[in-house]
Amino acid sequence: MFLDIFDPLAPPQTLGIDLGTTHSIVATLRDGRPTALVTCDGTGLLPSVVYYGNHGMVMVGNAAKAHLLSEPTRTIASAKRYMGRGYDEQLASQLSHVQLARPQSDADSKVVRFDLGDRTVTPVEVSAEILKSLKKSAIDQLTNVGGVVITVPAYFDEAQRQATKDAGRLAGLDVLRLLNEPTAAALAYGLDKNTTGTYAVYDLGGGTFDITILELQDGVFQVRSTGGDSALGGDDFDRAIAHLMLSQMGFRKDATVPSEVVSLVLGVAREIKHALSQATSAEVKLPVRGDKEITFVLTRDELAALVAPLLASTEVASRRALRDAGLQPQKVEGVILVGGSTRMPAVRAFVEKIFGQTPLTDLDPDLVVAYGAAISAAALSGQGEDVLLLDVLPLSLGVETMGGGVDKILPRNVSIPAGARSTFTTYADNQTGFEVHVVQGERELAQDCRSLARFKVTGIPPMPAGMARLEIDFQVDENSLLHVSARETTTGIEQSIDVTPSYGLSEDEIEQMLIDALDHGEQDLEKRRVADARVEAERVLLATEKSLRQDASLLGPDELSRIQAAISDLRTVLGRAQNSADVKASHISSRLDELDEATKAWAGRRMNQAIAQALGGQQVEQVAHSVETARGVDAHVHEHEQNRAGRRA
Amino acid sequence: MDPFSALGLPPSFDLDARTIAERKLALSRALHPDRYVGRPAGERRAALSKALEVNDAARRLSNPITRAEALLIKWGDENPEALPSPSQAFLMDILELREALRAAGRAHERAKMDALIADVEVRKQQTLQRLSDAFAEVERDATKTRTVLHQFLSELRYLQRFCDEAEAFLDEMPVAQ
Repeated sequence: MFLDIFDPLAPPQTLGIDLGTTHSIVATLRDGRPTALVTCDGTGLLPSVVYYGNHGMVMVGNAAKAHLLSEPTRTIASAKRYMGRGYDEQLASQLSHVQLARPQSDADSKVVRFDLGDRTVTPVEVSAEILKSLKKSAIDQLTNVGGVVITVPAYFDEAQRQATKDAGRLAGLDVLRLLNEPTAAALAYGLDKNTTGTYAVYDLGGGTFDITILELQDGVFQVRSTGGDSALGGDDFDRAIAHLMLSQMGFRKDATVPSEVVSLVLGVAREIKHALSQATSAEVKLPVRGDKEITFVLTRDELAALVAPLLASTEVASRRALRDAGLQPQKVEGVILVGGSTRMPAVRAFVEKIFGQTPLTDLDPDLVVAYGAAISAAALSGQGEDVLLLDVLPLSLGVETMGGGVDKILPRNVSIPAGARSTFTTYADNQTGFEVHVVQGERELAQDCRSLARFKVTGIPPMPAGMARLEIDFQVDENSLLHVSARETTTGIEQSIDVTPSYGLSEDEIEQMLIDALDHGEQDLEKRRVADARVEAERVLLATEKSLRQDASLLGPDELSRIQAAISDLRTVLGRAQNSADVKASHISSRLDELDEATKAWAGRRMNQAIAQALGGQQVEQVAHSVETARGVDAHVHEHEQNRAGRRA
Repeated sequence: MDPFSALGLPPSFDLDARTIAERKLALSRALHPDRYVGRPAGERRAALSKALEVNDAARRLSNPITRAEALLIKWGDENPEALPSPSQAFLMDILELREALRAAGRAHERAKMDALIADVEVRKQQTLQRLSDAFAEVERDATKTRTVLHQFLSELRYLQRFCDEAEAFLDEMPVAQ
């Protein structure tokens, strides 16, 4: 038995979580090596199944799986497939034992809701239960748990990523980053084997398929291209087998099959599929009407034929990714297999055919993603190896044009973070508002792409049509999440933007879920917020003071005193928070904002200095120049304030 | 900021992909948001906006068309996107090529499509070489006229658009089993 002695001074242990369609895993670094932690099931692999019992009782993993046959509609599996999707997206028509609740309103249809009978739950809440269970296991074993990296399929769009992030928030995790699964796998593989060169990662999991081409070199993992299908995986193979079973059991094609039967055949189909990875033929007895049984037989070749049409679409995506990377299939150094479905002989043979080489299988395809996430989490907290992950945007980002077409603002496979600026103009006199519809996808018509969000820009000063020029800045961060800001350039006024995501939970809904999850609801939530704000404030104070010691020379006149005043204000409120429960999280965060404002220009200059150092001093002159202009601005602001003060006096 | 300054490179058309990639990498090491986890919000914002500027610069300079445009802007051309159109003969040529590609696509003649695309690819390379030579000449002697240069750039855009469209067209076609 291995015992960890709790050291209160040791930094919190960072975690990597693979939140999978069929299994989830939590891993951490032990003595520099990634290890999967034991979950509540006593193994490393936790089935991604959640059972909702009576009186708010919730079970996760094998304990939940035990209810699959008896209470299929209260036992949610494969929730990942529904993340960030709406009811209208036809998932309802797929063979599944879960029941989807019919949306009651437009807002309701922005998320899928599983109907439990007495209430509904969203995929985000189901995922949050899985995350909570993993977190609890980690705390039991490590005591002090820190930041977390959660992996997502590379081909996940913005809404699916946002939903994953929301699940992390609901579970009370400090999510450092959403990491693409193939990139995580390459990270684990590359560091383990110490390889360099261009690799392909073929990741076929329970519900998603990703193909990623990336370059490994000296701790840098640079993605060249990525492609995939966020709704293709082992579940679909199970479904194909299950349909065959149902027809042999006498169900007509369009018949409504009871949830209990669906649950049974899907489970048996999966077992047969697994058996056929070892054996060349498998059989099972299935019940039919009149207390009789039939014997269902499936050979490995029959299975291969059954999944062939599904695999064909992975070839299209693979070839496109290779072309986007400008590579011939034979030119990749190796093909890394990830995801449980790559255990199937038919899948391995198919990959070999596409790439003209035997794929690499020496790392456990179930664990490698979680291992990579653990390595990344440690690196992000400055505790592990110095690695740099440069990823790409999986799907093009565009804006709907007047005719319903798409104006691409960022093409797929650009390096992230990425930014683009679009200019729009008003089409009516005195038009004060504007709506921009942002979509993601490769198709030419907006209606064929995935709707991301509608941005309503308001407060444009009244002007004749075509006179107002509206500049919208799109920023895609390192998690492939979108941020937008808008400005009217003739007046220079920053516009307020009202963002309405097309799919997903609203901020209010998440808030309510957080409150519901706590014993004393709102009070507890506020306490948690204050605690979080204090941690954040301490972190910022530490960082700012360190920067003051290092880069005081880049401060403009008066800047130091303003920063010191903001620091002292923040310390005061933190001191009060320690002694009194009256201090709200918003009190702390507004002081934090003031410090942020005071250090803003200085941060920009320090960034310029970092750039100059990275370029080997080539831009020193330019930096000196920008420091000068920055001082100019400060002086200008100062003067302006004095003028105002003067006028008031 | 113009992409050359963003990567600390001299404003020239003659830049090789490797230099651009190296600069991008060196700057990413310093600026990638992953390096600023747990840092104050202002710093993270500043790093993010610089990092995306670097990525954008590397992307624009890696593509000869956008690199040419960036250089023309740097030289003071107000709107390099609105260049004079290529000759009537060239435009007719492209129109016919497009028609031929669509016809081959409708007839599912994949080999014919590939041959057409390969032809255009060759022409694209030739035009790129001419453009590169024209830039070299103007870079040597700034008083030289930029008319030829504009013409090649304009042609290159049409050829590139043909290749992009062909690619999108192939993507939407069912795969041959």
